[in-house]
Amino acid sequence: MTALLTLNNVSKSFTRGGILSRHRIEAVKNVSFTIENNRPEIFAIIGESGSGKTTLARMILGMQEVSGGSLTLEGNRVGGRTRKERLAFMAKVQPIFQNPFEAFNPLKKIDYYLLLTAMRFGGAVDIAEAEAAADVALRQVGLSLSEIRGRFPHEMSGGQLQRVAIARALVSKPRLIIADEPVSMVDASLRMAIVNLFGELRDKLGLSIIYITHDLATAYYIADRLIIMQKGEVVEAGAAREVLSDPQHPYSRQLRDAVLSPQVTGSLSIQ
Amino acid sequence: MTTQPILRVDHLKAHFRSSYFGVYREVPAVDDISFDVAPNEIFGLAGESSSGKTTLMKTIAGLITPPLELIGGKAQFSFMPPETNLYGADPAQLARIRWSKLSYIMQGSMNVLNPLRQIRSIFRDFAAVHIGGSNSDFETKTVNHLSRLRLDPSVLDAYPHELSGGMRQRVTIALATICRPDFIIADEPTTALDVIVQKEVLGMIRSIQREMGSSVLFVTHDMGVHAALTDKLGIMYAGCLVEAGRTADIFNAPQHPYTRHLIHSLPRIGDTVQRTGLTGTPPNLANPPSGCRFHPRCPLASDICRTERPMMRQIATEHRVACHAVAGDDA
Repeated sequence: MTALLTLNNVSKSFTRGGILSRHRIEAVKNVSFTIENNRPEIFAIIGESGSGKTTLARMILGMQEVSGGSLTLEGNRVGGRTRKERLAFMAKVQPIFQNPFEAFNPLKKIDYYLLLTAMRFGGAVDIAEAEAAADVALRQVGLSLSEIRGRFPHEMSGGQLQRVAIARALVSKPRLIIADEPVSMVDASLRMAIVNLFGELRDKLGLSIIYITHDLATAYYIADRLIIMQKGEVVEAGAAREVLSDPQHPYSRQLRDAVLSPQVTGSLSIQ
Repeated sequence: MTTQPILRVDHLKAHFRSSYFGVYREVPAVDDISFDVAPNEIFGLAGESSSGKTTLMKTIAGLITPPLELIGGKAQFSFMPPETNLYGADPAQLARIRWSKLSYIMQGSMNVLNPLRQIRSIFRDFAAVHIGGSNSDFETKTVNHLSRLRLDPSVLDAYPHELSGGMRQRVTIALATICRPDFIIADEPTTALDVIVQKEVLGMIRSIQREMGSSVLFVTHDMGVHAALTDKLGIMYAGCLVEAGRTADIFNAPQHPYTRHLIHSLPRIGDTVQRTGLTGTPPNLANPPSGCRFHPRCPLASDICRTERPMMRQIATEHRVACHAVAGDDA
């Protein structure tokens, strides 16, 4: 089996302060995991804010340099060195962000983003090909180009717009999608539809998805494997359902116990 | 229960009205809502974004500014003279009530503290006038109250940016509870917090509420929080209250199709049943669907749902639902 994405002792530290008060902040410390090429999966990264999960995602996306260890995609350094390598890399790894309303420019029509992605990363040479590629991607998320053509982000609901964001990521036929809290801004009635969509993409398109979240219940529901991070370090890793059913590390246990289950267990279930 | 409710919301209606360049828009964000909150009770309000939860809170608290307008109905607190709304009340009377009888924990309450004032000054600004006494008395009272929320007296010397999000949140709760108000409105007080801190903060709200015997109107879209904290629960959809009752009843036997869906779609740890999302999208309130506002997405919709708006009906003790399909037989 060849590895799609390999992280080997990846670390990231930031330096803060001036000459006298300089100190280093270790945002990510020695994280290692591998995602296999021919076994698509949903890999969840769980942790509270400040645990380094977004920094890790930014490094995988090549948006931030690694300060220690190695991070490779199909054997090549993440991010690439030349512009050509970089574009090829970006076609393979695509992001989905937390708030779709912030991810799209409110002054541009949303089909513009899809067509631009198709031209730049999808190999489309003219508008007709780009439109075809955009339509294929939109159909994979349950929309179509004719529905969204000419519309601005504010004309869509959060759930619809997040679907468009996912379609945009699919246009370049990526191997890996990094989804940073993709459902936390989506309405409750639409949230599960988006989560189920991730499962469908994995099963039908063979995509691997790195699902970054602090919501343990959806991670339990959809993820295959997960890591739990605390202060930049991985404290527990393994098959999602096993880990969440029986967490071993004290922090994972604390995290799991803090999840408020939607079940009424008596009027004083929190003390 | 025959006790007098502390808050009676009676057919409250508040709409956003705007007219620009001859285009008139009316958005019914709070549309004919009625419910009671009893003393010593936590009443939860759930609903998705843009279902009018915050607007309802603001209307109840009397914080009505254009383009929001009060159209009809009233929100009557038992500590107010009868037949008076907070809105339009005499400013001197409002100043007496605000913070000592009624306090408000705002949405995004981590960021409501004035960044240029020390916590001590903020406490003085808000509460000194209601508590009275000498400065040293006030200081002792503040320190005692902070210790209830497990905050060190040293936070009084800090500026808001020096505290973490969870601590700021606790400071805001301390501010809202220091005058021992009869009624606390809490609008999404814990959404920006991590789960571990959230649980701690909710526990504190609960213990302080039990100790003081106040009532809390608690708004959040997180159903897990409602299950753990609230005594009664109201579900809002598109500006209307669609179901209200005891939290346990609503979770165990939801009646309205929207509530049923909302509760069944929640994933739980230890449960691998396939969950589905609801089809369709939340309605645009500037142009709400006719009849029942949920009918375009409702699996049980029939002809009457498209034309006639369902009224709230009592289906069991303290359990009311607004749906033609559920309580269609009785009048």
